[in-house]
Amino acid sequence: MQILNASFKDRSGYVFKHNNEYYRTVQAIYQSHYEQLLGSGLKDYLCKRKLFLPFEESEELVAQTSSWKVIKPVQLTQISYASEWSFEMYKDAALCTLHNCIEALDYDMVLKDANTYNIQFVEGKPILIDSLSFEKNNEGKPWIAYRQFIEQFVCPLLLMKYNHHALQKITLSYPNGIPINVCKTLLPSKAKLNPNVYLHIFLPSSKESKPTKESHFSKQKMTTLLKGLVGFVKKLEVKKEKSIWDDYYTHTILGNQYFDEKQVAVKSMLDQISFNKLVDYGANDGAFSMLYANSSKEIVSADIDYNCINRLYKKVKTEKIKNIHPIVLDLTSPTPSFGWAAHERDSIFKRLQSDVSLCLALVHHLAIQYNVPLSSVLELMHKQSEYLLIEFVEKKDEKVQFLLKNREDVFDQYDIINFELEIDKLYTILDKKMLRLGSRTLYLLKRK
Amino acid sequence: MLSLLYIDPGSGSFLIQAIIAAVLGGWFIIKGYWARLKSFFTGKQGAEEKDKKAKESEEEIEY
Repeated sequence: MQILNASFKDRSGYVFKHNNEYYRTVQAIYQSHYEQLLGSGLKDYLCKRKLFLPFEESEELVAQTSSWKVIKPVQLTQISYASEWSFEMYKDAALCTLHNCIEALDYDMVLKDANTYNIQFVEGKPILIDSLSFEKNNEGKPWIAYRQFIEQFVCPLLLMKYNHHALQKITLSYPNGIPINVCKTLLPSKAKLNPNVYLHIFLPSSKESKPTKESHFSKQKMTTLLKGLVGFVKKLEVKKEKSIWDDYYTHTILGNQYFDEKQVAVKSMLDQISFNKLVDYGANDGAFSMLYANSSKEIVSADIDYNCINRLYKKVKTEKIKNIHPIVLDLTSPTPSFGWAAHERDSIFKRLQSDVSLCLALVHHLAIQYNVPLSSVLELMHKQSEYLLIEFVEKKDEKVQFLLKNREDVFDQYDIINFELEIDKLYTILDKKMLRLGSRTLYLLKRK
Repeated sequence: MLSLLYIDPGSGSFLIQAIIAAVLGGWFIIKGYWARLKSFFTGKQGAEEKDKKAKESEEEIEY
């Protein structure tokens, strides 16, 4: 039995791993809240509406953990953190939190915390995973998690809306939420003109240090506050900024013929191996991940570009694709392990372990734009999965020539011979296909 | 500055929540009348009614 580093703070019950499955204890301190959560029908109601991760009780581990109860939630296969979500993902995660709290009020319960780590994406939708997040509503008190909600969800969304989508990365520096006072200084003055921004961001910072006499805060008032937040968050839109990766496969010289040929080649190579989980690194807007849409395989589509991942998430959502998990990932600056003692939250590579990695049209960017040696790319992928499908784009290729246009070509090691020598150190080549373009080769590799 | 470290991070939040709830409460009343008036003339269902129906039939939430 191994207690998870991420759950050391909650006195209501910790999460632990037993026989490769995750469980959570429920301590006696949480008993009355737990009984109301189940007894009132709130749990079943939220689960039916896909707002809350279902769990069942597990009698056999109670004695072993000296707890009041042990529960086993539906097992999650992929964990992502806020800094890896696109704007729409962030927005939906915020709405999921608010809807959970609004519904809970009808059952005389309330969300006692509102942090992004409690939300995960399951089957293309956000869901509250913290089984012990609800407590009995203390009638007359305001929403205890209000400030946390603003700092964890609203501040990052506003910075993305008014400044830049990429500011989402700031959330990594503020794992407990961006303080309102910090957010306020970063927002442009025009943000004040939005009444909601004024009320939730600018007004609180002028009032927060003044002690106040608390009067009765009715349930009606709390519902109004929460519904107001829903309306506010729903209307937030991110500024559309054109990125170099937009429409990579539709508007480039490579065109449809190349894309179709590559799709057939990739599929036929992947058909040779058996796998459950695939991570598509540099997925762009998921063109190749879509080969497995709605299949039994679990696909993670990772890309550095926020616009591409945002588009992919919207597609996953509207087409109700359940097995594709989009995430924002900068391979040159991936999410490290962070939080308390620097191990409260796992690094992205620990969370992205898979059976096969897909690296299409990626190596030349890492090698030429970021000076990453070919051996380092292969070593990283070697740690991530048993199989690797990787594309090598030669120097003569138009795309590589474009990358070399404004810089000195110091990449004398960047050629297919050296690439294959590096492959040989770590992998066995199962299949190799050259695309008709003549400058691109696909390799299907297996760890040695 | 040091004294701020001893202030509960939630303090002041009561006043803010009370102000916001009061402002929004008024706004929602006006909005509610307007939506009813609109649906009376257009015959279309308002967002509030849609939410209510989804709630009653325990439909999966849509974002």
